[in-house]
Amino acid sequence: MDADTKSLKMDFLSSSALNSHTSMEKVSMIVDRVKNGDLIVIEGGLSPEEEAELIETTMREIDVENFMGIDIYTLEKDKTSFFGLSRKKTVGITIIGPANVMKEVKKKSNFLTMIANLGDSDAPMH
Amino acid sequence: MIRVVSMPRFFRRSFFKDIFNKLLGKNKILKIGFYGHPNSGKTTLANRMTNDWIGKPIGLVSQIPHETRRVYRQEHVALKHDGVELNFDIIDTPGIATKIDYTNFLEFGLSETEAKERAKEATKGIIEAIKWLDDVTGVLLVIDSTEDPLTQANITIMGNLEARKIPFIIVANKIDLPNAEPDKIFSVFPQHTVISISALEGDNMGELYQKMVERFR
Repeated sequence: MDADTKSLKMDFLSSSALNSHTSMEKVSMIVDRVKNGDLIVIEGGLSPEEEAELIETTMREIDVENFMGIDIYTLEKDKTSFFGLSRKKTVGITIIGPANVMKEVKKKSNFLTMIANLGDSDAPMH
Repeated sequence: MIRVVSMPRFFRRSFFKDIFNKLLGKNKILKIGFYGHPNSGKTTLANRMTNDWIGKPIGLVSQIPHETRRVYRQEHVALKHDGVELNFDIIDTPGIATKIDYTNFLEFGLSETEAKERAKEATKGIIEAIKWLDDVTGVLLVIDSTEDPLTQANITIMGNLEARKIPFIIVANKIDLPNAEPDKIFSVFPQHTVISISALEGDNMGELYQKMVERFR
């Protein structure tokens, strides 16, 4: 996030772009960008182990005055098996951003609203 | 002359039981981790259990989030239910969160210096809690029934437990509060074992102990 212009940078990453990296590379890339104030939207999700690694790395990077951590939200979609016999939820998109920027998030099953806090002014994003 | 000394029956039984347990891999020490958000009631539950079974508490409880900032361990807790005994160690972990805002602690009367120090210690505690996922053999995931259960921390903990094939029970805590909604937890995690309790009042602990014996032994 640019503090002077009160703008918000959002990065959209395809699953293929992410999967070309190792878990450690993915996590450090996410944390670096979020720590810089950017918001990341990922196609798909991280594995449970990567999520744990992301939380762990975030905790190491927290600087109590400037970086208080991250917020993560996912939107899920139904995935039907080949024969259509079973249906399970998979992560459609994941949104990760700095905790102080993601001011308010309202989530329903297939809809997510986020209000970003850009310094003194609030910019709603849907 | 060779003197044959036969093993007393008790020791023989114990000897064969040990061998049998080793063959079945049952000789490992059960380590039950208490996981969940800050202030979900993990330490209150751990205290309730250690008070019930060994007569002393394990840690301090407070209204301020992140009171538990390092892992506490109580060894050799023996839980007896319906003639079955479960011996285990309790691992009370700091609450897992994705963010820590030191200003939240100021509301509880802490000075700015104390609040910042608490925040720093909390980050280390969360790292330690995550590391313990590699060592626990079973988990009680404690969820505050008055809060939204579908949080990233809960999802991450459950995903990691499933990936590691660690058995766990979801504990819907704080059902003594008027705004508790344990049914919400049952409805969002229908595929998992959920037991609703009040660790503070001791409500429904018997059902939890029974389920622990079934899932963790």
